[in-house]
Amino acid sequence: MSTTLYHGEPNGPSLTVLAALFAKEVPAELVRIDLARGERHTLACAQEPQVAMSVEGEGPVLLVEGEAMTDSVFLACYLDDVGPGAPLRPADPYGRWETMTWCRQIIERTAPAAACLGCRAHPPEADAAMLQRIGSADLRARWREIMAGNFSEDHLSDSRTKIRLAVEKIEIRLDGRQWLMGTFSIADIESYAWLAGMVSLVPEAFAGRPRVTAWLERVKGQPAVTKALSLARSADPAAVWSVGPEINRWG
Amino acid sequence: MPDVTLYHWEPNANSGKPMLALMEKGVAFNSHYLDLLSFDQHAPEYLAVNPQGTIPAMLHGDRVLTESTAIMEYVEEVFAGPRLMPADPRDRWRVRWWMKFMDQWLAPSFSMIGWKVFVGPAVRDKDPKELQAAIERIPLPERRVAWRKAISGQFGAEELEESRRRVALGIRMLEEELARRAWLASNQYSLADINGFNLAYGLPVVWPELSNDELTPHILRWLRTIYARPATKACWAMGRTSMAKRVAILEQPQITPGQPA
Repeated sequence: MSTTLYHGEPNGPSLTVLAALFAKEVPAELVRIDLARGERHTLACAQEPQVAMSVEGEGPVLLVEGEAMTDSVFLACYLDDVGPGAPLRPADPYGRWETMTWCRQIIERTAPAAACLGCRAHPPEADAAMLQRIGSADLRARWREIMAGNFSEDHLSDSRTKIRLAVEKIEIRLDGRQWLMGTFSIADIESYAWLAGMVSLVPEAFAGRPRVTAWLERVKGQPAVTKALSLARSADPAAVWSVGPEINRWG
Repeated sequence: MPDVTLYHWEPNANSGKPMLALMEKGVAFNSHYLDLLSFDQHAPEYLAVNPQGTIPAMLHGDRVLTESTAIMEYVEEVFAGPRLMPADPRDRWRVRWWMKFMDQWLAPSFSMIGWKVFVGPAVRDKDPKELQAAIERIPLPERRVAWRKAISGQFGAEELEESRRRVALGIRMLEEELARRAWLASNQYSLADINGFNLAYGLPVVWPELSNDELTPHILRWLRTIYARPATKACWAMGRTSMAKRVAILEQPQITPGQPA
């Protein structure tokens, strides 16, 4: 089966999919694209609805037998289904429900907050021609706002709160356990991928959180994560950001 | 007594997803109807079950499950009955992609307009003090904002326009996808169709100029096929409001643009 992964620096959604790919030992051709310059929009599949309208924003694209697939948590579920490596989700349905609801919280609350703070500190930059190629009007609008440096104080403070709440939730969850779902899973990878870059940007969220601090090191030390991070071309991949999911429009 | 209890509102949107999934699987459940318009979901009895005060929630044995889409996946995995997830991993990915796209991008736009035209007016005439107290009991800050906006009709022109843009684009995307195959995400009826029906069953009533047999024949074919399923009929029969009863439009053999709904 021909599989190609178009990915950026190992941070955020690219880190999730690279780590899942390595953990599951799925053979794939790896193709580097600069997500922070909008290069996803130059791919031949860029106007496919699943690429153009991906809720995740500028994430990696997995091309399997010509079908372009996006959204990192679901790509990790797919890789978990097809690869021979150790399972990345619990075997029992309740544990799988916990994994999916955990990841949904990260996708919906933590990821937009992290992308906002990450992009403010390390702005992505696409040229006018690249912006023209973006198929989704709301994604293009987010690019424009970010490149113009339009971050409202409300938005920033809400984002910091969301990071603090996510870290607090992980600290509580890790009471008496090494991994969020008992064994190393997609929930650990996805949570780490969005939060690793927040340690330097929202240090107060991590202060006095010994279990989270130890867990971050543990995730980083997992062979699949280490291997994904070894693909970094920058000194600190956790400081490389592109436009992420939108903050909930309402409710 | 079944060991499943579902706390739900109308067969519509998030409540309708696990209702229909359970009924398709043939799983008996205790139905616990919460009247969203009377704020039952923020009453102490329900907050004891789900402290977030979101609907739906499902009790299975002594476990409490929330998040409608994740509940559907649980229902699919834990109970026997017809398979509602395809076996092929790539098809499963597509089911999840569409569910997330609907849950996070399209449904909030439908719902903003639904709250403006249905939920807001339905509760606005209540005693203002009672309403204020009801809003203060809402655990999630985002939901407090949403309720305040709905009640006072404070959705801005710009955000409503953006919601209308998304509704129109979402309808085009659904039509294109359903022109490719019989079902939304794979070649079999799946959780994506259950999710999608909950979102789209009222389309020809609310958006007749965007969704009708001339403009979106594949969406209408899909909605009627799902509505014809016994589980769907039984599920929508549990509806109590005019909102759920809109489903009856799917009994019309032909819906043309401009037709009075």
